[in-house]
Amino acid sequence: MLKKKILLSLPIALAITGAIAAQAPEDVLDRLVTKSGNSAYLTQSPQNRMMMPDNPAYLVADDGEKLFKEKRGPKNASLEECDFGEGPGVLKGAYVELPRYFADTGKVMDLETRLVYCMKTLQGFTDNDPQIKKRHGNDSDMMKLQTYIAMQSNGMPWNPPLSHPLEKAMRDAGEVMFYRRAGKMDFACATCHAATGQRIRASVLPNKEVAEEWTKAISWPAYRVGQDNVRSSQHRLLECLWQMRYPNMKPGSDASIALISFWTDAARGQPAIIPDMKR
Amino acid sequence: MSKITPIAAAIAAATSLFLVAGQVTGQQASSATPGAAPAKPAAASDASAVKRPEPLKKRTPDKAPPQTEVLIMDSQGIRMAPANVSAKMLAEYLILESAGFDLSQATQEGTTGKDRLVQDEIQKLCSLGKGEQLDSKAAAKVSELATATIKYPEGGVKLGDWRKGRELAWSGFGFRTAHNPDDHSKQQPGANCYNCHQLATDRTGGTIGPPLTAYGKLRGSSEEILKYTYGVIYNAHAYFPCTNMPRMGAKGVLTQEQIADVMAYLIDPASPVNTSAASGMSGM
Repeated sequence: MLKKKILLSLPIALAITGAIAAQAPEDVLDRLVTKSGNSAYLTQSPQNRMMMPDNPAYLVADDGEKLFKEKRGPKNASLEECDFGEGPGVLKGAYVELPRYFADTGKVMDLETRLVYCMKTLQGFTDNDPQIKKRHGNDSDMMKLQTYIAMQSNGMPWNPPLSHPLEKAMRDAGEVMFYRRAGKMDFACATCHAATGQRIRASVLPNKEVAEEWTKAISWPAYRVGQDNVRSSQHRLLECLWQMRYPNMKPGSDASIALISFWTDAARGQPAIIPDMKR
Repeated sequence: MSKITPIAAAIAAATSLFLVAGQVTGQQASSATPGAAPAKPAAASDASAVKRPEPLKKRTPDKAPPQTEVLIMDSQGIRMAPANVSAKMLAEYLILESAGFDLSQATQEGTTGKDRLVQDEIQKLCSLGKGEQLDSKAAAKVSELATATIKYPEGGVKLGDWRKGRELAWSGFGFRTAHNPDDHSKQQPGANCYNCHQLATDRTGGTIGPPLTAYGKLRGSSEEILKYTYGVIYNAHAYFPCTNMPRMGAKGVLTQEQIADVMAYLIDPASPVNTSAASGMSGM
């Protein structure tokens, strides 16, 4: 355990203590593994668990912190006035309470759509600017910022609000979508995520009904070892839909947010593991 | 200028609110998709509590819904539904009418993204929510619909080349679209068997479907077994209503010749499926 702390560079350590004291993502995961009785999904990659203290996502988050505080864009503003639901500039605990309804847009928004909204309104970026357009990859502003922001909720329980009718409506529509079979292969999300210990080839799949598994499944951003990149919730969705033989989904679409609303609600009360490390 | 689609109209009718037909998405009703879904519009038929609405009348903007937190509009037209619209209707709306998916995306089979997303009868009957069980009447219906789709080869079901079948069984390529469409001119679509099944034990298969190691060794190659196996690959719902198994023949994923090759991989005594020891199957 001590070794983990030594391995962390100073800015990383500061970023972590700024969010949740003394609870590294690997510690959160360790407790879930124990609680789940060594779930096959949670334990499928001992290498990844060992590497978590050196997660490359921390470097991406470091860049994100700089970008967050830097005055940028046509309006020469930082993102420190961005309201992710807990008030302007409050990041601690904001991510585990997304998606949520925002009165200023009249929409239920997830982290990515809210971030885009702030980059447009506060900083003056537009849809065609690379800062907003490029959604994926370690070198994208979007992933740097998302990783930094989400990390401030590491270890905190998922608690997306459902008090607004639109939050409830989106969550419920997401549930229908989760079980809705379509596409060339008749797949629904539930085809792969409604049983315990099942595999696609060698990959053990998370079961939505097992809370300890599901919180890891939805803990994004995570560094994906096989892709050598930090990935977002929206990216996870995109890859599932691709395998499901569905058409392309618009980033930040209401359909995507409905699904993310449902999947986050399904992990309610379980601690977020951010940044996580996945296959 | 623009039109209210049936799902949007149903949402509006269900809320007793009138909508401004401003910039509603110009997509056609789901029922208008050729060859995709049965004639009934998905949302209207799914929403048992809601009757098919009358076409909406246009209203002037000053008659916009008073409760924006209940029904919200933006450049997409209707954005969100209120609490008394069923989740099913809202899901259909989000999938098919809110511009969330690229509905016009070309598919490898020459259709569109929309055709992939509009449910056919079997997909509808088999979209069971948490704790929902397939009742015997629906199961019989699914089986009947599936059985009617199976086209057996002229001259009877025969085994093809197990070596070709082995490659097909391993390949997970084909028909993926989204952000990275599979190019079938560069590689033929595979049968995806190993994604969900353990077959021969030299490679690791998935466990969503049952293990098929020693399939032919255990079952033989009688005419009944050949016909049954062909049917399960072609449209497994005939035998197992609402199975997770894709309808490889009925949905045009595999040709009859490819099915014969995959069957040879399963049944031919020389195939590794039948020569590798079942005890070595664990692997994982």
